[in-house]
Amino acid sequence: MSLLRQLRKLVLGETWSLPLGVAVALGAAGIVRAVDGDDGWWHHAGGFILLGLVALALTGSLAGALRARGR
Amino acid sequence: MAFTLTLIGAMLACGLEMLEALAIVLAVGITRRFRDSLIGAAGAALALAALAVVLGPVLISRVPLAPLRILIGAFLLLFGLEWLRKGVLRLAHLRSPSNSFKEFVEEQESLESLPVPPAGQPDWAGRTIAFKGVLLEGVEVILIITALGARPGGLAPALIGGSVALVAVILVGLVLHAPLARLPETHLKYVVGIVLSTFGVFFAAEGLGVTWPLSDAALLYLAAGFFLISQLQIRVLTRERPAVAAAA
Repeated sequence: MSLLRQLRKLVLGETWSLPLGVAVALGAAGIVRAVDGDDGWWHHAGGFILLGLVALALTGSLAGALRARGR
Repeated sequence: MAFTLTLIGAMLACGLEMLEALAIVLAVGITRRFRDSLIGAAGAALALAALAVVLGPVLISRVPLAPLRILIGAFLLLFGLEWLRKGVLRLAHLRSPSNSFKEFVEEQESLESLPVPPAGQPDWAGRTIAFKGVLLEGVEVILIITALGARPGGLAPALIGGSVALVAVILVGLVLHAPLARLPETHLKYVVGIVLSTFGVFFAAEGLGVTWPLSDAALLYLAAGFFLISQLQIRVLTRERPAVAAAA
């Protein structure tokens, strides 16, 4: 059981906020791509949108760590 | 460009993971018996080799290219962002610095309380600890190499990087723990976080139908982007640190 817990920590990390943030970022990017179609603006600019979403996920997890320390 | 970055990313990420495994193997070997420590480590290496043989070909042959890129990107983002998160917190002095030597000393101290069986009898406690340590760190190595190597043309630099890291870590192990204490691990892990996160966004976006301006050179401006974002976060967190300390 402890081995499984450690494996989960190794793959998903120490927090839930970061894997959830990554899932939300990729999910949102997938939805925008599906709405925009194959030849729209997403084709050229989508990477930067994904970078922004991932940066937000990282910032969110850092804010969580900061809040946890302040408690 | 992609070849060099894949090689550097695989080498640093695998090297740092292997270093952590080495710390555990050395601690078990010095505190208990090297023979049992190496048997445990060899068992884990066999399990990891089996995992690598199954995981790589199954992923590459069974999963279509676009979903595979998203899956690889997601894995690299999970690893990379976690390393980057810890790196930012460490560089903002909100988390203790990464130190394999310290982990080695702590592991050694915790093992000293366990009785060693008489000579001639197998030390299952020592073997299990070495096995578990190498297996856990090795799973991450296998996933990183598989993810970096799954891209067309990515397997060679990923394997070369991983092999260079393995040789370097064995050399460190041979000359024991003096170099372990001198490595700037916090900064190295921060760099690995940037490199893996860069590849993660690059692959995932390609899987989602993006064509990157300047093709593979996009890796450079993505890495620069992650560097700038994380430096900004370090500055903000460093400024917030006294307020957090006062509230705690």
